Amino acid sequence: MSLPISPRRVARTAGIAVAVALAVGLVAPLVVTAAGAFVHADWYGQRSEGAAAGGALGLFRYVLGLWSGALVTSLRLVGTVVPLALLIGTPAAFAFRRRPFPGSGSLETLAMTPLAIPGIALAVGLLLGAGRAPRFGLLVAGHLAYTLPLVLKTVSNALEREGADLERVARSLGAGPWKTAAWVTLPRLVPGLVLSALLVFAVSWGEFNVSFLLATPIVQTFPAALYLTYTTNSFPVAAAATLIFLAPIVPAFLAIQALGGEEFRRGLSV
Amino acid sequence: MWPLARLAAGAFSSPDAFLKVLAAGRYRTSLVNSLALSTAAAFVSVALAIVPAWVFARERFPGRDLVRTAVSLPLTFSGVLVGFLVIVMLGRIGAVPKLAGLLTGRELFAGSAFTLAGLFLAYLYFEIPRAVMTLEAAFRHFPLELDAAARSLGAGPIARLLHVTLPYAAPALFSTLAVTFSASMGSFGVALVLARRFTVAPLEIYTELTAFLNDAVAGALCIALAALTFGVDRLFARRSA
Repeated sequence: MSLPISPRRVARTAGIAVAVALAVGLVAPLVVTAAGAFVHADWYGQRSEGAAAGGALGLFRYVLGLWSGALVTSLRLVGTVVPLALLIGTPAAFAFRRRPFPGSGSLETLAMTPLAIPGIALAVGLLLGAGRAPRFGLLVAGHLAYTLPLVLKTVSNALEREGADLERVARSLGAGPWKTAAWVTLPRLVPGLVLSALLVFAVSWGEFNVSFLLATPIVQTFPAALYLTYTTNSFPVAAAATLIFLAPIVPAFLAIQALGGEEFRRGLSV
Repeated sequence: MWPLARLAAGAFSSPDAFLKVLAAGRYRTSLVNSLALSTAAAFVSVALAIVPAWVFARERFPGRDLVRTAVSLPLTFSGVLVGFLVIVMLGRIGAVPKLAGLLTGRELFAGSAFTLAGLFLAYLYFEIPRAVMTLEAAFRHFPLELDAAARSLGAGPIARLLHVTLPYAAPALFSTLAVTFSASMGSFGVALVLARRFTVAPLEIYTELTAFLNDAVAGALCIALAALTFGVDRLFARRSA
């Protein structure tokens, strides 16, 4: 005699229900925040500072004006860190995978350590190591420490997946090492490089620990400004700033997921 | 590597700072708090992640991609943002107290964002997506034959989960514990926004550095925190091999 409802179906439905409940719970605060940026400020019982600007769009314009300096710093930082990380990380990964030299193994381990130590410790070490001279270069150095391991890992994976056979063929046909790298290795690394760039962008845009500890009123990244907004501004302004923060990073994250970027499983340092 | 070397050099050039960190109540408390909170968050988030990770790895259902994206989205939130979201829900005029006020007439949980429970919830908020994604990757490689064999021998779904899947998944569970634990230990933004009467090590490091300009103690705390994280991480990782 068979049961009208199989235990397997019950387990499956219950499992899906748990997953959906979890998703709803995780997204709910975001929905409330998004609503906060668009609902009329008077709803909260007090006149919001940005409300005078008129409507939700006015609120966003107000926030953009308030933190334009931090936004520009963050954009400059990302614009510097992404190319630098790729320019340093790609040849390094190539050397580690294809041309190992004495000590390259330990060098690689060393380059991966920033992922293994608490983010705050790295930030403090950087701050103490460079003296109390917070400046843009220091921010770049801190972000590179976080993002280089991601590039190394992604590009190494791509190199291992592709194998060295075609490179050997090219060499045997008379192509020099540079020609081989430019015409055989690099073109096949493009998906890995795109993924690396997205990962570096997402981490650099959202990084808080280094940015906040090294921040000055002049050189300040957007996540650091986000903290100031949370502690000093009204809820609608904070909500709008949150949405501005998420606007570039969420699409980048979706693209990373679509490309199968497992490296982002650990997410941003919190 | 240079920053780490500088940290170590600073700590060893002033060993009394180290002693102070290990002996003085405030610093030791912050380290113990971090350790306890991170361990608890790791275990609870992994426990809560098992079912969703299994569902994402094994089941196909309409809206699966959407649900999965929603669960993994918090990976892109930095710590301060998570802290803010907890205030949005559980702050003094948060959404949950307001809703409870509408339903029951009493604003329950108002301000609980700033209690230890609120901090713990924040840790769970950023740990659960990590745990789900890490476990899902492991569950995807689970050999279906084992499950089918157990079923053919008459084991029900719960018996199969307990006697086939979980033992097989134990290494993945331990490596997920390591991942979530390490992330919690270094977590700074959440505590910066939420912690009031409760302190964790990263927050204490920040206070020493910026409020008291006490580089030596901050450096020593960093070393202690890194060593603790590394030690427990190894402990979990050894069982995951």
